[in-house]
Amino acid sequence: MRSPIITVQNLNKHFKVRKHHRGRMAGLRNFFTHEYRLVRAVDGVSFQIAPGELVGYIGPNGAGKSTTLKMLTGLLVPTGGELYVGGRIPWKERQAHVASLGAVFGQRTTLWWDLPVIESLDLLQHIYRIPEARFRQNLDEFESLLELGSFLDTPVRSLSLGQRMRADICAALLHDPKLLFLDEPTIGLDVVAKERIRQFILHINRERSTTVILTTHDLSDVEKLCERVMIIDHGKLLFDGTLEALRERFNGRRELAVDFAEAYESVEIDGAQVVAWDGKHATYQFERKVITASELIGRLSARYQIHDLEVREPEIEATVRRIYEERLLES
Amino acid sequence: MQWHLDMYRRLLAVQLRSQLQYRTSFALDAISSALVSAIEFAAPMLVLQQFGNNIGGWTMGELALLYGMIDTAYALTDLLFGGFDPDYFAPMVRRGTLDQLLLRPTNITLQILGSEFRLRRFGRIAQGGIILVVALALVGVRWTPAKIAYLPVVLLGQAAFFGGLFIIGSTSTFWTVQRVEIINVFTSGGRVAMCYPMHIYTKWVRRIFTIVPVIFLNYYPALYLLNKPDPLNMPAIAPLMAPVVGFGLLAAAFGFWQFGLRYYASTGT
Repeated sequence: MRSPIITVQNLNKHFKVRKHHRGRMAGLRNFFTHEYRLVRAVDGVSFQIAPGELVGYIGPNGAGKSTTLKMLTGLLVPTGGELYVGGRIPWKERQAHVASLGAVFGQRTTLWWDLPVIESLDLLQHIYRIPEARFRQNLDEFESLLELGSFLDTPVRSLSLGQRMRADICAALLHDPKLLFLDEPTIGLDVVAKERIRQFILHINRERSTTVILTTHDLSDVEKLCERVMIIDHGKLLFDGTLEALRERFNGRRELAVDFAEAYESVEIDGAQVVAWDGKHATYQFERKVITASELIGRLSARYQIHDLEVREPEIEATVRRIYEERLLES
Repeated sequence: MQWHLDMYRRLLAVQLRSQLQYRTSFALDAISSALVSAIEFAAPMLVLQQFGNNIGGWTMGELALLYGMIDTAYALTDLLFGGFDPDYFAPMVRRGTLDQLLLRPTNITLQILGSEFRLRRFGRIAQGGIILVVALALVGVRWTPAKIAYLPVVLLGQAAFFGGLFIIGSTSTFWTVQRVEIINVFTSGGRVAMCYPMHIYTKWVRRIFTIVPVIFLNYYPALYLLNKPDPLNMPAIAPLMAPVVGFGLLAAAFGFWQFGLRYYASTGT
Protein backbone atom coordinates (compact mmCIF):
# COMPACT_ATOMS: atom_id res chain seq x y z
CA MET A 1 0.00 0.00 0.00
CA ARG A 2 1.42 3.38 -0.87
CA SER A 3 1.81 5.69 2.03
CA PRO A 4 -1.40 5.08 3.96
CA ILE A 5 -3.51 7.96 5.16
CA ILE A 6 -4.60 6.04 8.23
CA THR A 7 -2.40 3.67 10.17
CA VAL A 8 -3.83 1.84 13.12
CA GLN A 9 -1.64 -0.57 15.02
CA ASN A 10 -2.86 -2.64 17.92
CA LEU A 11 -5.30 0.03 19.00
CA ASN A 12 -6.91 -0.35 22.39
CA LYS A 13 -9.56 1.51 24.28
CA HIS A 14 -10.53 0.24 27.67
CA PHE A 15 -13.14 1.69 29.95
CA LYS A 16 -13.54 1.10 33.62
CA VAL A 17 -17.17 0.55 34.34
CA ARG A 18 -18.54 0.42 37.82
CA LYS A 19 -19.79 -2.96 38.82
CA HIS A 20 -23.50 -2.95 39.22
CA HIS A 21 -24.98 -4.82 42.09
CA ARG A 22 -28.29 -6.53 42.03
CA GLY A 23 -30.54 -7.82 44.72
CA ARG A 24 -31.21 -6.45 48.13
CA MET A 25 -29.96 -3.04 49.03
CA ALA A 26 -28.66 -2.81 45.46
CA GLY A 27 -29.23 0.90 45.20
CA LEU A 28 -27.30 1.64 48.33
CA ARG A 29 -24.52 -0.76 47.54
CA ASN A 30 -24.15 0.77 44.08
CA PHE A 31 -23.72 4.16 45.63
CA PHE A 32 -20.79 3.03 47.72
CA THR A 33 -19.21 0.52 45.42
CA HIS A 34 -15.68 0.92 44.17
CA GLU A 35 -15.45 -2.23 42.18
CA TYR A 36 -14.87 -1.91 38.48
CA ARG A 37 -14.82 -4.18 35.53
CA LEU A 38 -12.83 -3.53 32.42
CA VAL A 39 -14.70 -3.05 29.16
CA ARG A 40 -12.53 -3.56 26.11
CA ALA A 41 -14.40 -1.36 23.68
CA VAL A 42 -11.60 -1.58 21.14
CA ASP A 43 -9.25 -4.50 21.53
CA GLY A 44 -6.11 -4.80 19.48
CA VAL A 45 -7.41 -3.41 16.20
CA SER A 46 -4.95 -2.96 13.34
CA PHE A 47 -5.47 -1.77 9.79
CA GLN A 48 -4.23 0.65 7.16
CA ILE A 49 -6.21 2.75 4.75
CA ALA A 50 -4.73 4.16 1.58
CA PRO A 51 -5.66 7.58 0.27
CA GLY A 52 -8.72 7.45 -1.97
CA GLU A 53 -10.20 4.26 -0.57
CA LEU A 54 -13.90 3.96 0.12
CA VAL A 55 -14.17 1.72 3.14
CA GLY A 56 -17.15 0.38 5.04
CA TYR A 57 -16.68 0.03 8.77
CA ILE A 58 -19.52 -2.04 10.10
CA GLY A 59 -20.60 -4.01 13.10
CA PRO A 60 -23.50 -4.45 15.46
CA ASN A 61 -24.41 -1.85 18.04
CA GLY A 62 -21.91 -1.79 20.85
CA ALA A 63 -19.24 -3.38 18.68
CA GLY A 64 -16.72 -0.60 19.07
CA LYS A 65 -17.43 1.34 15.88
CA SER A 66 -18.13 4.71 17.45
CA THR A 67 -15.24 4.28 19.83
CA THR A 68 -12.87 3.66 16.94
CA LEU A 69 -14.28 6.62 15.04
CA LYS A 70 -13.92 8.87 18.04
CA MET A 71 -10.27 7.93 18.27
CA LEU A 72 -9.78 8.46 14.56
CA THR A 73 -11.35 11.89 14.75
CA GLY A 74 -9.35 12.83 17.81
CA LEU A 75 -12.22 13.06 20.27
CA LEU A 76 -11.00 10.17 22.38
CA VAL A 77 -7.55 9.25 23.62
CA PRO A 78 -6.63 5.58 23.10
CA THR A 79 -5.60 3.40 26.00
CA GLY A 80 -2.89 1.75 23.95
CA GLY A 81 -1.55 1.15 20.48
CA GLU A 82 -0.67 3.49 17.66
CA LEU A 83 -2.87 5.66 15.53
CA TYR A 84 -1.82 8.03 12.77
CA VAL A 85 -4.07 9.96 10.45
CA GLY A 86 -2.39 11.97 7.73
CA GLY A 87 0.86 11.59 9.62
CA ARG A 88 -0.61 13.09 12.78
CA ILE A 89 -1.72 11.70 16.09
CA PRO A 90 -5.33 12.92 16.08
CA TRP A 91 -5.88 13.63 19.74
CA LYS A 92 -2.56 15.35 20.10
CA GLU A 93 -3.03 17.82 17.29
CA ARG A 94 -6.77 18.27 17.40
CA GLN A 95 -7.20 21.50 15.49
CA ALA A 96 -4.74 20.72 12.71
CA HIS A 97 -6.13 17.22 12.38
CA VAL A 98 -9.74 18.28 12.31
CA ALA A 99 -9.10 20.95 9.68
CA SER A 100 -8.43 18.26 7.11
CA LEU A 101 -11.36 16.01 7.78
CA GLY A 102 -15.08 16.22 7.24
CA ALA A 103 -17.81 14.37 9.09
CA VAL A 104 -21.46 13.77 8.44
CA PHE A 105 -23.72 12.32 11.09
CA GLY A 106 -27.02 10.95 9.97
CA GLN A 107 -28.58 11.37 13.37
CA ARG A 108 -27.84 15.05 13.85
CA THR A 109 -26.74 18.08 11.96
CA THR A 110 -23.51 20.03 12.09
CA LEU A 111 -25.27 23.19 10.95
CA TRP A 112 -26.77 26.00 12.99
CA TRP A 113 -30.36 25.11 13.63
CA ASP A 114 -32.09 28.46 13.37
CA LEU A 115 -30.18 29.94 10.50
CA PRO A 116 -30.58 29.62 6.74
CA VAL A 117 -28.30 26.97 5.28
CA ILE A 118 -26.21 29.47 3.39
CA GLU A 119 -25.36 31.37 6.56
CA SER A 120 -24.13 28.19 8.19
CA LEU A 121 -21.96 27.53 5.16
CA ASP A 122 -20.60 31.07 5.26
CA LEU A 123 -19.68 30.64 8.88
CA LEU A 124 -17.96 27.38 8.10
CA GLN A 125 -15.96 29.14 5.44
CA HIS A 126 -14.46 31.28 8.15
CA ILE A 127 -14.04 28.48 10.62
CA TYR A 128 -12.11 26.43 8.09
CA ARG A 129 -10.43 29.47 6.56
CA ILE A 130 -11.43 28.53 3.05
CA PRO A 131 -10.20 31.00 0.44
CA GLU A 132 -13.11 32.85 -1.16
CA ALA A 133 -12.49 31.56 -4.68
CA ARG A 134 -12.27 27.95 -3.61
CA PHE A 135 -15.34 28.33 -1.41
CA ARG A 136 -17.37 29.71 -4.32
CA GLN A 137 -16.15 26.99 -6.62
CA ASN A 138 -17.01 24.16 -4.26
CA LEU A 139 -20.32 25.70 -3.31
CA ASP A 140 -21.34 26.06 -6.95
CA GLU A 141 -20.40 22.50 -7.73
CA PHE A 142 -22.14 20.99 -4.72
CA GLU A 143 -25.15 23.21 -5.14
CA SER A 144 -25.76 21.85 -8.59
CA LEU A 145 -24.86 18.23 -7.80
CA LEU A 146 -26.96 18.12 -4.65
CA GLU A 147 -29.65 20.50 -5.88
CA LEU A 148 -29.38 22.73 -2.87
CA GLY A 149 -30.53 25.86 -4.67
CA SER A 150 -34.14 25.55 -3.62
CA PHE A 151 -33.42 25.58 0.09
CA LEU A 152 -30.17 27.45 0.65
CA ASP A 153 -32.14 30.25 2.26
CA THR A 154 -34.28 27.99 4.41
CA PRO A 155 -33.45 27.63 8.10
CA VAL A 156 -32.07 24.22 8.90
CA ARG A 157 -34.89 23.47 11.30
CA SER A 158 -37.39 23.69 8.43
CA LEU A 159 -35.62 21.27 6.14
CA SER A 160 -36.78 17.78 5.36
CA LEU A 161 -34.46 14.97 6.36
CA GLY A 162 -33.21 14.48 2.83
CA GLN A 163 -32.53 18.18 2.40
CA ARG A 164 -30.71 18.34 5.69
CA MET A 165 -28.49 15.42 4.78
CA ARG A 166 -27.55 17.04 1.51
CA ALA A 167 -26.78 20.29 3.25
CA ASP A 168 -24.67 18.45 5.81
CA ILE A 169 -22.68 16.62 3.17
CA CYS A 170 -22.06 19.86 1.34
CA ALA A 171 -20.92 21.47 4.57
CA ALA A 172 -18.56 18.60 5.29
CA LEU A 173 -16.77 18.93 1.97
CA LEU A 174 -16.42 22.66 1.41
CA HIS A 175 -12.97 22.77 2.91
CA ASP A 176 -11.61 20.00 0.68
CA PRO A 177 -10.99 17.47 3.42
CA LYS A 178 -8.77 14.57 2.53
CA LEU A 179 -10.77 12.30 4.76
CA LEU A 180 -14.53 12.03 5.07
CA PHE A 181 -16.34 10.17 7.84
CA LEU A 182 -19.92 9.22 7.15
CA ASP A 183 -21.99 7.94 10.03
CA GLU A 184 -25.34 6.60 8.85
CA PRO A 185 -25.60 9.10 6.00
CA THR A 186 -28.71 7.55 4.47
CA ILE A 187 -30.66 6.69 7.57
CA GLY A 188 -34.34 7.48 7.34
CA LEU A 189 -34.18 8.48 3.69
CA ASP A 190 -36.41 7.23 0.93
CA VAL A 191 -34.94 5.13 -1.83
CA VAL A 192 -34.51 7.99 -4.28
CA ALA A 193 -32.81 10.20 -1.73
CA LYS A 194 -30.52 7.36 -0.70
CA GLU A 195 -29.46 6.81 -4.25
CA ARG A 196 -28.73 10.48 -4.74
CA ILE A 197 -26.52 10.61 -1.68
CA ARG A 198 -24.71 7.47 -2.75
CA GLN A 199 -24.05 8.84 -6.22
CA PHE A 200 -22.65 11.98 -4.71
CA ILE A 201 -20.34 10.05 -2.41
CA LEU A 202 -19.06 8.00 -5.32
CA HIS A 203 -18.51 11.15 -7.34
CA ILE A 204 -16.53 12.80 -4.56
CA ASN A 205 -14.46 9.71 -4.01
CA ARG A 206 -13.62 9.35 -7.68
CA GLU A 207 -13.16 12.98 -8.69
CA ARG A 208 -11.35 14.24 -5.62
CA SER A 209 -9.75 11.07 -4.31
CA THR A 210 -11.30 11.78 -0.96
CA THR A 211 -10.81 8.87 1.40
CA VAL A 212 -14.20 7.85 2.72
CA ILE A 213 -14.99 5.82 5.81
CA LEU A 214 -18.59 4.77 5.97
CA THR A 215 -20.30 3.51 9.08
CA THR A 216 -23.75 2.17 8.51
CA HIS A 217 -26.31 -0.48 9.32
CA ASP A 218 -27.62 -0.38 5.79
CA LEU A 219 -25.97 -3.24 3.96
CA SER A 220 -27.06 -1.91 0.58
CA ASP A 221 -25.08 1.28 1.27
CA VAL A 222 -22.05 -0.91 1.73
CA GLU A 223 -22.75 -3.01 -1.29
CA LYS A 224 -23.22 -0.03 -3.57
CA LEU A 225 -20.31 2.04 -2.34
CA CYS A 226 -17.55 0.09 -0.69
CA GLU A 227 -14.77 -1.82 -2.30
CA ARG A 228 -13.51 -2.79 1.08
CA VAL A 229 -15.30 -3.74 4.25
CA MET A 230 -14.10 -3.98 7.82
CA ILE A 231 -16.22 -5.72 10.39
CA ILE A 232 -15.81 -5.10 14.06
CA ASP A 233 -17.49 -6.84 16.94
CA HIS A 234 -16.73 -6.96 20.64
CA GLY A 235 -13.88 -4.57 19.98
CA LYS A 236 -12.09 -6.88 17.60
CA LEU A 237 -11.60 -6.59 13.87
CA LEU A 238 -13.16 -9.74 12.53
CA PHE A 239 -12.94 -9.14 8.83
CA ASP A 240 -11.02 -6.84 6.55
CA GLY A 241 -11.36 -7.44 2.85
CA THR A 242 -13.53 -7.11 -0.22
CA LEU A 243 -17.25 -7.55 -0.36
CA GLU A 244 -16.97 -10.66 -2.51
CA ALA A 245 -14.63 -12.25 -0.03
CA LEU A 246 -17.17 -11.40 2.65
CA ARG A 247 -20.01 -13.00 0.74
CA GLU A 248 -18.07 -16.11 0.05
CA ARG A 249 -16.89 -16.41 3.56
CA PHE A 250 -20.31 -15.76 4.90
CA ASN A 251 -21.98 -18.28 2.70
CA GLY A 252 -25.16 -17.46 4.40
CA ARG A 253 -28.75 -18.21 3.95
CA ARG A 254 -30.91 -15.75 2.16
CA GLU A 255 -34.63 -15.70 2.32
CA LEU A 256 -37.34 -15.48 -0.30
CA ALA A 257 -40.74 -14.38 0.89
CA VAL A 258 -43.50 -15.36 -1.51
CA ASP A 259 -47.15 -14.37 -1.78
CA PHE A 260 -48.94 -17.02 -3.76
CA ALA A 261 -51.92 -16.30 -5.96
CA GLU A 262 -53.77 -19.21 -4.44
CA ALA A 263 -53.43 -21.43 -1.44
CA TYR A 264 -51.47 -24.52 -2.34
CA GLU A 265 -51.41 -27.80 -0.48
CA SER A 266 -47.67 -27.95 -0.58
CA VAL A 267 -45.15 -25.38 -1.57
CA GLU A 268 -42.02 -27.51 -1.47
CA ILE A 269 -39.29 -26.69 -3.96
CA ASP A 270 -35.93 -28.14 -4.84
CA GLY A 271 -32.92 -26.27 -3.50
CA ALA A 272 -34.68 -24.29 -0.80
CA GLN A 273 -36.21 -24.93 2.55
CA VAL A 274 -39.60 -23.77 3.67
CA VAL A 275 -39.22 -22.04 7.00
CA ALA A 276 -42.61 -20.40 7.27
CA TRP A 277 -45.93 -21.10 5.63
CA ASP A 278 -49.47 -20.04 6.27
CA GLY A 279 -51.40 -21.05 3.23
CA LYS A 280 -50.83 -18.15 0.93
CA HIS A 281 -47.51 -16.85 2.19
CA ALA A 282 -44.31 -18.82 2.44
CA THR A 283 -40.76 -18.02 3.34
CA TYR A 284 -37.94 -20.03 1.83
CA GLN A 285 -34.37 -20.21 2.95
CA PHE A 286 -31.70 -20.97 0.40
CA GLU A 287 -27.95 -20.86 0.16
CA ARG A 288 -26.08 -18.81 -2.36
CA LYS A 289 -23.73 -21.66 -3.14
CA VAL A 290 -26.56 -24.04 -3.89
CA ILE A 291 -28.95 -21.88 -5.87
CA THR A 292 -29.22 -18.25 -6.96
CA ALA A 293 -32.25 -16.11 -6.26
CA SER A 294 -33.23 -15.93 -9.90
CA GLU A 295 -32.98 -19.69 -10.31
CA LEU A 296 -35.19 -20.23 -7.33
CA ILE A 297 -37.71 -17.70 -8.54
CA GLY A 298 -37.67 -19.42 -11.89
CA ARG A 299 -38.37 -22.81 -10.36
CA LEU A 300 -41.13 -21.45 -8.19
CA SER A 301 -42.82 -19.60 -11.04
CA ALA A 302 -42.79 -22.75 -13.11
CA ARG A 303 -44.58 -24.65 -10.36
CA TYR A 304 -46.81 -22.09 -8.67
CA GLN A 305 -48.72 -18.96 -9.41
CA ILE A 306 -46.91 -16.15 -7.67
CA HIS A 307 -48.53 -12.87 -6.74
CA ASP A 308 -45.52 -11.12 -5.26
CA LEU A 309 -42.16 -11.93 -3.79
CA GLU A 310 -39.26 -10.40 -1.95
CA VAL A 311 -35.64 -11.42 -1.63
CA ARG A 312 -34.27 -10.79 1.82
CA GLU A 313 -30.57 -10.51 2.38
CA PRO A 314 -29.26 -11.62 5.72
CA GLU A 315 -29.22 -8.83 8.25
CA ILE A 316 -25.82 -7.43 8.86
CA GLU A 317 -26.19 -8.22 12.53
CA ALA A 318 -26.78 -11.87 11.73
CA THR A 319 -23.86 -11.84 9.29
CA VAL A 320 -21.53 -10.50 11.87
CA ARG A 321 -22.77 -12.77 14.61
CA ARG A 322 -22.17 -15.66 12.31
CA ILE A 323 -18.69 -14.53 11.43
CA TYR A 324 -17.96 -14.04 15.06
CA GLU A 325 -19.14 -17.52 15.87
CA GLU A 326 -17.07 -18.85 13.02
CA ARG A 327 -13.98 -17.19 14.34
CA LEU A 328 -14.71 -18.56 17.74
CA LEU A 329 -14.76 -22.02 16.27
CA GLU A 330 -11.62 -21.40 14.27
CA SER A 331 -9.54 -20.39 17.26
CA MET B 1 -5.23 36.35 18.00
CA GLN B 2 -6.95 38.63 15.54
CA TRP B 3 -8.51 35.64 13.92
CA HIS B 4 -9.79 34.45 17.27
CA LEU B 5 -11.44 37.77 18.02
CA ASP B 6 -12.89 37.76 14.56
CA MET B 7 -14.18 34.24 15.10
CA TYR B 8 -15.72 35.18 18.45
CA ARG B 9 -17.44 38.15 16.87
CA ARG B 10 -18.83 35.96 14.12
CA LEU B 11 -20.11 33.35 16.57
CA LEU B 12 -21.84 36.09 18.55
CA ALA B 13 -23.34 37.50 15.37
CA VAL B 14 -24.73 34.06 14.57
CA GLN B 15 -26.31 33.92 18.01
CA LEU B 16 -27.85 37.34 17.55
CA ARG B 17 -29.29 36.48 14.18
CA SER B 18 -30.61 33.21 15.55
CA GLN B 19 -32.34 34.88 18.43
CA LEU B 20 -33.68 37.74 16.37
CA GLN B 21 -35.37 35.17 14.16
CA TYR B 22 -37.81 34.78 16.98
CA ARG B 23 -38.68 38.39 17.52
CA THR B 24 -41.77 37.92 19.63
CA SER B 25 -40.05 35.41 21.83
CA PHE B 26 -37.12 37.73 22.26
CA ALA B 27 -39.31 40.67 23.19
CA LEU B 28 -41.30 38.65 25.70
CA ASP B 29 -38.09 37.27 27.13
CA ALA B 30 -36.54 40.68 27.60
CA ILE B 31 -39.67 42.07 29.20
CA SER B 32 -40.14 39.16 31.56
CA SER B 33 -36.45 39.17 32.53
CA ALA B 34 -36.73 42.83 33.42
CA LEU B 35 -39.94 42.26 35.35
CA VAL B 36 -38.49 39.40 37.34
CA SER B 37 -35.46 41.49 38.21
CA ALA B 38 -37.60 44.40 39.22
CA ILE B 39 -39.69 42.24 41.51
CA GLU B 40 -36.60 40.59 42.97
CA PHE B 41 -35.37 44.03 43.84
CA ALA B 42 -38.62 45.57 44.93
CA ALA B 43 -39.72 42.83 47.29
CA PRO B 44 -36.93 43.08 49.89
CA MET B 45 -37.01 46.86 49.57
CA LEU B 46 -40.69 46.90 50.39
CA VAL B 47 -40.11 44.60 53.33
CA LEU B 48 -37.35 46.88 54.47
CA GLN B 49 -39.73 49.78 54.71
CA GLN B 50 -41.40 47.92 57.56
CA PHE B 51 -38.14 47.72 59.42
CA GLY B 52 -37.27 51.36 59.58
CA ASN B 53 -35.66 51.57 56.20
CA ASN B 54 -32.28 50.33 57.17
CA ILE B 55 -30.31 47.18 57.75
CA GLY B 56 -27.33 47.30 60.03
CA GLY B 57 -27.31 51.05 59.77
CA TRP B 58 -27.23 50.99 55.99
CA THR B 59 -29.87 53.06 54.24
CA MET B 60 -32.06 52.02 51.33
CA GLY B 61 -29.80 53.81 48.91
CA GLU B 62 -26.75 52.08 50.24
CA LEU B 63 -28.43 48.69 50.03
CA ALA B 64 -29.51 49.52 46.52
CA LEU B 65 -25.87 50.13 45.70
CA LEU B 66 -24.96 46.66 46.89
CA TYR B 67 -27.80 45.18 44.92
CA GLY B 68 -27.18 47.23 41.80
CA MET B 69 -23.54 46.22 41.54
CA ILE B 70 -24.21 42.52 41.92
CA ASP B 71 -27.20 42.57 39.64
CA THR B 72 -25.31 44.30 36.86
CA ALA B 73 -22.30 42.05 37.26
CA TYR B 74 -24.30 38.85 37.29
CA ALA B 75 -26.27 39.91 34.23
CA LEU B 76 -22.95 40.58 32.54
CA THR B 77 -21.79 37.08 33.39
CA ASP B 78 -24.99 35.60 32.09
CA LEU B 79 -24.44 37.45 28.86
CA LEU B 80 -20.80 36.58 28.35
CA PHE B 81 -20.53 33.18 29.97
CA GLY B 82 -23.91 31.84 28.94
CA GLY B 83 -22.23 28.95 27.17
CA PHE B 84 -20.81 27.78 30.46
CA ASP B 85 -24.06 28.00 32.37
CA PRO B 86 -24.30 24.46 33.76
CA ASP B 87 -27.99 24.32 32.85
CA TYR B 88 -27.02 24.83 29.25
CA PHE B 89 -23.70 23.03 29.25
CA ALA B 90 -24.72 19.70 30.77
CA PRO B 91 -27.45 18.95 28.21
CA MET B 92 -25.09 20.07 25.47
CA VAL B 93 -22.56 17.46 26.49
CA ARG B 94 -25.22 14.77 26.79
CA ARG B 95 -26.55 15.48 23.31
CA GLY B 96 -23.11 15.17 21.78
CA THR B 97 -22.93 18.81 20.73
CA LEU B 98 -19.61 19.18 22.51
CA ASP B 99 -18.16 16.52 20.22
CA GLN B 100 -19.42 18.47 17.27
CA LEU B 101 -17.62 21.56 18.48
CA LEU B 102 -14.48 19.53 19.03
CA LEU B 103 -14.62 18.49 15.40
CA ARG B 104 -14.14 22.07 14.28
CA PRO B 105 -10.66 23.57 13.95
CA THR B 106 -11.38 26.34 16.42
CA ASN B 107 -10.47 26.75 20.03
CA ILE B 108 -13.12 24.95 22.04
CA THR B 109 -13.38 27.52 24.83
CA LEU B 110 -13.93 30.24 22.30
CA GLN B 111 -16.68 28.24 20.67
CA ILE B 112 -18.48 27.65 23.92
CA LEU B 113 -18.19 31.30 24.93
CA GLY B 114 -19.64 32.19 21.57
CA SER B 115 -22.41 29.66 21.65
CA GLU B 116 -24.85 31.17 24.11
CA PHE B 117 -24.72 34.89 23.80
CA ARG B 118 -28.01 35.74 25.38
CA LEU B 119 -29.22 38.93 23.84
CA ARG B 120 -32.03 39.33 26.31
CA ARG B 121 -29.49 39.79 29.06
CA PHE B 122 -28.94 43.30 27.80
CA GLY B 123 -32.27 44.10 29.36
CA ARG B 124 -31.10 42.72 32.64
CA ILE B 125 -27.82 44.59 32.49
CA ALA B 126 -29.63 47.82 31.71
CA GLN B 127 -31.96 47.29 34.59
CA GLY B 128 -29.13 46.51 37.00
CA GLY B 129 -27.37 49.56 35.68
CA ILE B 130 -30.39 51.73 36.37
CA ILE B 131 -30.60 50.55 39.96
CA LEU B 132 -26.90 51.17 40.32
CA VAL B 133 -27.06 54.68 38.92
CA VAL B 134 -30.08 55.56 41.03
CA ALA B 135 -28.38 54.18 44.11
CA LEU B 136 -25.23 56.16 43.46
CA ALA B 137 -27.29 59.28 43.09
CA LEU B 138 -29.24 58.55 46.28
CA VAL B 139 -26.21 58.03 48.47
CA GLY B 140 -24.31 60.97 47.12
CA VAL B 141 -20.94 59.36 46.55
CA ARG B 142 -17.99 61.71 46.88
CA TRP B 143 -16.38 60.88 43.59
CA THR B 144 -12.67 60.83 43.06
CA PRO B 145 -10.86 59.78 39.86
CA ALA B 146 -9.83 56.64 41.69
CA LYS B 147 -13.39 55.77 42.50
CA ILE B 148 -14.52 56.39 38.94
CA ALA B 149 -11.90 54.01 37.65
CA TYR B 150 -12.60 51.59 40.46
CA LEU B 151 -16.28 50.93 39.85
CA PRO B 152 -16.01 49.22 36.45
CA VAL B 153 -13.05 47.18 37.70
CA VAL B 154 -15.13 45.92 40.59
CA LEU B 155 -18.03 45.05 38.32
CA LEU B 156 -15.73 43.14 36.02
CA GLY B 157 -14.22 41.37 38.99
CA GLN B 158 -17.65 40.32 40.18
CA ALA B 159 -18.61 39.17 36.71
CA ALA B 160 -15.39 37.19 36.52
CA PHE B 161 -16.20 35.58 39.85
CA PHE B 162 -19.60 34.39 38.71
CA GLY B 163 -18.12 33.34 35.40
CA GLY B 164 -15.62 31.24 37.29
CA LEU B 165 -18.42 29.60 39.23
CA PHE B 166 -20.23 28.81 35.99
CA ILE B 167 -17.15 27.22 34.52
CA ILE B 168 -16.51 25.16 37.62
CA GLY B 169 -20.11 24.02 37.69
CA SER B 170 -20.05 23.04 34.04
CA THR B 171 -16.72 21.27 34.20
CA SER B 172 -17.94 19.16 37.11
CA THR B 173 -20.68 17.76 34.94
CA PHE B 174 -18.01 15.75 33.14
CA TRP B 175 -17.80 13.69 36.29
CA THR B 176 -21.24 13.96 37.75
CA VAL B 177 -23.33 13.90 34.57
CA GLN B 178 -26.12 15.85 36.20
CA ARG B 179 -25.46 19.42 37.08
CA VAL B 180 -24.08 20.01 40.49
CA GLU B 181 -26.62 21.71 42.68
CA ILE B 182 -23.99 22.88 45.08
CA ILE B 183 -22.76 25.40 42.56
CA ASN B 184 -26.16 27.02 42.71
CA VAL B 185 -25.60 27.54 46.41
CA PHE B 186 -22.67 29.76 45.54
CA THR B 187 -24.11 31.51 42.54
CA SER B 188 -27.64 32.20 43.68
CA GLY B 189 -26.91 32.01 47.36
CA GLY B 190 -23.80 34.07 47.01
CA ARG B 191 -25.63 36.71 45.05
CA VAL B 192 -28.29 37.13 47.66
CA ALA B 193 -25.81 37.10 50.51
CA MET B 194 -23.68 39.74 48.87
CA CYS B 195 -26.63 42.09 48.57
CA TYR B 196 -26.56 42.83 52.28
CA PRO B 197 -23.81 44.45 54.32
CA MET B 198 -21.62 41.74 55.73
CA HIS B 199 -21.50 43.05 59.26
CA ILE B 200 -25.06 41.97 59.82
CA TYR B 201 -24.06 38.33 59.58
CA THR B 202 -22.85 36.41 62.57
CA LYS B 203 -19.19 35.74 62.98
CA TRP B 204 -19.07 32.24 61.62
CA VAL B 205 -21.05 33.20 58.51
CA ARG B 206 -18.61 36.03 57.93
CA ARG B 207 -15.77 33.57 58.34
CA ILE B 208 -17.17 31.43 55.60
CA PHE B 209 -17.53 34.42 53.36
CA THR B 210 -13.94 35.37 54.01
CA ILE B 211 -12.56 31.96 53.24
CA VAL B 212 -14.69 31.80 50.14
CA PRO B 213 -13.69 35.42 49.67
CA VAL B 214 -17.07 36.72 48.74
CA ILE B 215 -16.80 39.41 51.33
CA PHE B 216 -14.30 41.26 49.19
CA LEU B 217 -16.43 41.27 46.10
CA ASN B 218 -19.22 43.59 47.07
CA TYR B 219 -19.07 44.68 50.68
CA TYR B 220 -15.60 46.16 50.72
CA PRO B 221 -15.97 47.91 47.40
CA ALA B 222 -19.16 49.43 48.79
CA LEU B 223 -17.41 50.53 51.97
CA TYR B 224 -14.77 52.18 49.85
CA LEU B 225 -17.20 53.95 47.56
CA LEU B 226 -19.32 55.15 50.44
CA ASN B 227 -16.36 56.21 52.53
CA LYS B 228 -17.64 54.15 55.39
CA PRO B 229 -15.37 52.91 58.15
CA ASP B 230 -14.62 49.22 58.22
CA PRO B 231 -16.36 47.63 61.23
CA LEU B 232 -14.49 44.38 60.73
CA ASN B 233 -10.97 45.76 60.77
CA MET B 234 -9.62 44.17 57.66
CA PRO B 235 -6.29 45.34 56.26
CA ALA B 236 -6.51 48.53 54.25
CA ILE B 237 -5.94 46.69 51.05
CA ALA B 238 -9.31 44.95 51.33
CA PRO B 239 -11.19 47.04 48.73
CA LEU B 240 -8.58 46.19 46.14
CA MET B 241 -9.19 42.50 46.57
CA ALA B 242 -12.38 42.44 44.50
CA PRO B 243 -10.80 42.04 41.07
CA VAL B 244 -8.10 39.81 42.53
CA VAL B 245 -10.67 37.44 43.97
CA GLY B 246 -12.82 37.55 40.87
CA PHE B 247 -10.15 37.04 38.27
CA GLY B 248 -8.30 34.68 40.53
CA LEU B 249 -11.29 32.38 40.66
CA LEU B 250 -11.77 32.73 36.93
CA ALA B 251 -8.19 31.72 36.28
CA ALA B 252 -8.49 28.75 38.61
CA ALA B 253 -11.75 27.81 36.90
CA PHE B 254 -10.07 27.82 33.49
CA GLY B 255 -7.38 25.56 34.85
CA PHE B 256 -10.02 23.19 36.09
CA TRP B 257 -11.74 23.39 32.70
CA GLN B 258 -8.57 22.36 30.88
CA PHE B 259 -8.23 19.46 33.27
CA GLY B 260 -11.85 18.53 32.64
CA LEU B 261 -11.34 18.58 28.88
CA ARG B 262 -8.46 16.17 29.20
CA TYR B 263 -10.60 13.89 31.30
CA TYR B 264 -13.39 14.08 28.74
CA ALA B 265 -10.95 13.15 25.99
CA SER B 266 -10.00 9.99 27.78
CA THR B 267 -13.44 8.82 28.77
CA GLY B 268 -15.88 10.35 26.34
CA THR B 269 -19.57 10.53 27.15
